[in-house]
Amino acid sequence: MIPFLNATNHALFIYYLVCNLIYLVTLIVAFKTSAAHQRRLESWRLRWIQQSPLTAPISILVPAHNEESSIRVGINNLLDLDYPEFEVIVINDGSEDRTLAVLQEEFDLRPARAVYVQEVQSAPVRGLYRSGRDPRLLVIDKEAGGSKADAVNAGLNAATSPYVCVVDSDSVLEKDSLLRIMLPVMSDPERVVGVGGIVRVLNGSEIEGRQLRRVRLPRKGIEIIQVIEYLRAFLIGREGWAQGNMLLIISGAFGLFRTDLIRAIGGYRSRAIGEDFDLVLRLHRHLRDKGMDYRIQFVPDPVCWTEVPSDMRSLARQRARWQKGLLDALWPNRDMLFRRRYGRIGWLALPYLWVFELLAPVIELGGMVTILLAAWLGVLSEHFFIQFMLYGYAFATMISIGSVLQEEITYKRYNDSLDVFKLVSFCFLEHFPYRQIHLFWRLQGLWQYFRGDVSWRPMKRQGLQSSEM
Amino acid sequence: MGSIFNKLLTLGPSVFVVKAIIAAIVGDILFVASILVRRAYRKRYFRKLDERVSWVRRNWESLLSGEIPFEAWRWNSFDRGIIEQLVLDRFETGDPKESARLLRFLRESGLVEKRIFEARHHHGWRRWRALVALGRTRAPEGVPALAEALRDRKLENRQAALRGLGQMGSPKAAEEILAWMVEAGPRMASLPVQNALINCSRECPQILLPYLEQADAPVREILARVMGEVATPSLEGDLIGLAGDELPELRAAAARAMSSAQPHHAVEVLTELSRDPVWFVRLRAVVALGKLRNALATPAILEALTDANRLIRMRAGEALVAQPGEMAPIFARATAQRDRYGLYAYFAALENAGLRPKLEVELQQDRTMTEPERSELLQVLANGKLSDLPTATDFADGILPVARG
Repeated sequence: MIPFLNATNHALFIYYLVCNLIYLVTLIVAFKTSAAHQRRLESWRLRWIQQSPLTAPISILVPAHNEESSIRVGINNLLDLDYPEFEVIVINDGSEDRTLAVLQEEFDLRPARAVYVQEVQSAPVRGLYRSGRDPRLLVIDKEAGGSKADAVNAGLNAATSPYVCVVDSDSVLEKDSLLRIMLPVMSDPERVVGVGGIVRVLNGSEIEGRQLRRVRLPRKGIEIIQVIEYLRAFLIGREGWAQGNMLLIISGAFGLFRTDLIRAIGGYRSRAIGEDFDLVLRLHRHLRDKGMDYRIQFVPDPVCWTEVPSDMRSLARQRARWQKGLLDALWPNRDMLFRRRYGRIGWLALPYLWVFELLAPVIELGGMVTILLAAWLGVLSEHFFIQFMLYGYAFATMISIGSVLQEEITYKRYNDSLDVFKLVSFCFLEHFPYRQIHLFWRLQGLWQYFRGDVSWRPMKRQGLQSSEM
Repeated sequence: MGSIFNKLLTLGPSVFVVKAIIAAIVGDILFVASILVRRAYRKRYFRKLDERVSWVRRNWESLLSGEIPFEAWRWNSFDRGIIEQLVLDRFETGDPKESARLLRFLRESGLVEKRIFEARHHHGWRRWRALVALGRTRAPEGVPALAEALRDRKLENRQAALRGLGQMGSPKAAEEILAWMVEAGPRMASLPVQNALINCSRECPQILLPYLEQADAPVREILARVMGEVATPSLEGDLIGLAGDELPELRAAAARAMSSAQPHHAVEVLTELSRDPVWFVRLRAVVALGKLRNALATPAILEALTDANRLIRMRAGEALVAQPGEMAPIFARATAQRDRYGLYAYFAALENAGLRPKLEVELQQDRTMTEPERSELLQVLANGKLSDLPTATDFADGILPVARG
């Protein structure tokens, strides 16, 4: 028993070291990449994209299920974006509330015809409507497909542009977001097939009319911790992985893809739980199978603001769902692991996700059990244990503060010094006790998946409230 | 009581972890300190910047006229940066008279010379910065320095040089880009090259012709797209030649460019191209036919309405709806083709343009058709789909004899 515990504890030690090393490398890469991106932006004028006759049109796909509280502000915000040519396709996915009615009132919807070809699978369409107020707006009313993926697929069938941008209906995009997300495409349209933008926490900020007026930190601690999580995930994680063309997640709240490629892989997998991750993974597989030279990029400045859960129950559901989504996407693609054809995706990115994301809660729980057992049996050095915990805490906090620093150096959306002070303070709270609670939610997600519970439970939301509308 | 370091040293095997803890804590402190220092620095920096910008704005005219000697600010990099930035920003929004005045100031103050020197002699980011600024000055004397940078080993610098040349918007800059492309092949993604060339060759598109004829296929494809955007009616003869090229991209570009040609010449070529085996050539041809806004183009667009490709059907529908003259005869012809996909595309375009009521009124008021014909067409319009009643082909044939010819 004791040799086993010793071996387990050693393995756990190495696991933590490797994990921290990866975090450190991504942090350094992200710092470097952001600095280069900032400099590069100086040579770009967004006006050029707006004026160029070669700028590709975009179809913005907005799946909406029971979004009566936010759809009005959300869609007005999209129609107000700066971009030379785009259409907005809202997919009302069998809403049981007044989503369609609100759209009808606000945008003067009229039954319309659009070229709708069922190229990818989705639930039956009940009707197509075009706005009398703004012909760029098309609304697809369809039967509930039970997933966001199904709704986006319907939008994909009606999209007429070479690029599609998937946006959540409860999100707010900054006015130049489309221009910015198209920068990598405009620089290299032959190779760039997908681009992810940054998603930030909307809670606490003020919306006026159709735009975000003032960025503030949310009030609740649970929301502030999510701000740090988002900063770390986007400004460090995605920035770092994208640098090596190993970006596997483009957020479902704001991502741009080449339409023909998404159709070629059959659109979103209708039954996928984490449809955004699943899509990017299949896209990588498809392009590598075809031997194509491609890039999936992340751009940190086209900002999408989205509402995050503000109560523990909703957050627990969301995180359990994310964990289920991760397993649901990784398992069918397990054959990509360590295969030469899939290059760094199969050798680095996927193993990382398996070991340090999917299995992390299990390993951490196992670690806790063996450490406690070792302590009980008296084979654990108390000194070492405390030191190791201290190290883990200090290092994880350093990465979190690093993401706040990255935000400060580059994009600096939180101008108020008090906001930054709060952010840094919460970096110290994030890894104890929040991390342990988070671990429990993730385990719950895995347990639910194995029990076959893949149902989607709605999140409690405030909705987008504009001070003018 | 021994020092803390002595205590740490006695920890034995766990000393590695202790080191790691110290490193992590130092990292935490450093990061927090960086945030604080940066905030403090930025506060100071922006205060100074505001102060100097305000001074520059107050003395703007004196600075531009040289009343305040250039030497008074040229050697101060902070002031020089502010003045250059403000001048370049105004350059982009100013009228031609103001731009000429600003360019004169940039020359007289030596800022253009300085940037040219930096663009030629510096490396890496410093060269890149000089190239960006030089491009924004639009000073023709900067073209050779920018052209040299097209051969830089760093992609970033090549891109900055290309954008700079694009901003110049002069045939001379276009010539430099073309010479570089022929010499090295397209060493960059096509879109930035095309954007730059469109800006530079707009005034003188014939500059592209020799390269379009002689360059290698990849370069010709890039240039063809540019030609599609900048062609003028005077190039009609050359475009007809390109319409028969073996490269589909060139045929598509010729189709795009033909939309600016004389309709009676263009329709024949575009009709031919609208039957091309390659879908995007047909698409470009149909869009161009629509842009001609001429009744001569109607039969070819109607034919395109039955194309197997949905994008082409959509564009054909849009083109038909935008055709000048009465809509009823065109609708009758579209119905007579008995192609439900095509008719669907036509209805989609009609509804998107909000012209359905107008068509209905036209059908009701048309005196040239018989009552059964009118009734059938109204029924099709109301149902949005084809009925099983006899077609209106005869009626349509009678209405559009010229167009069909």
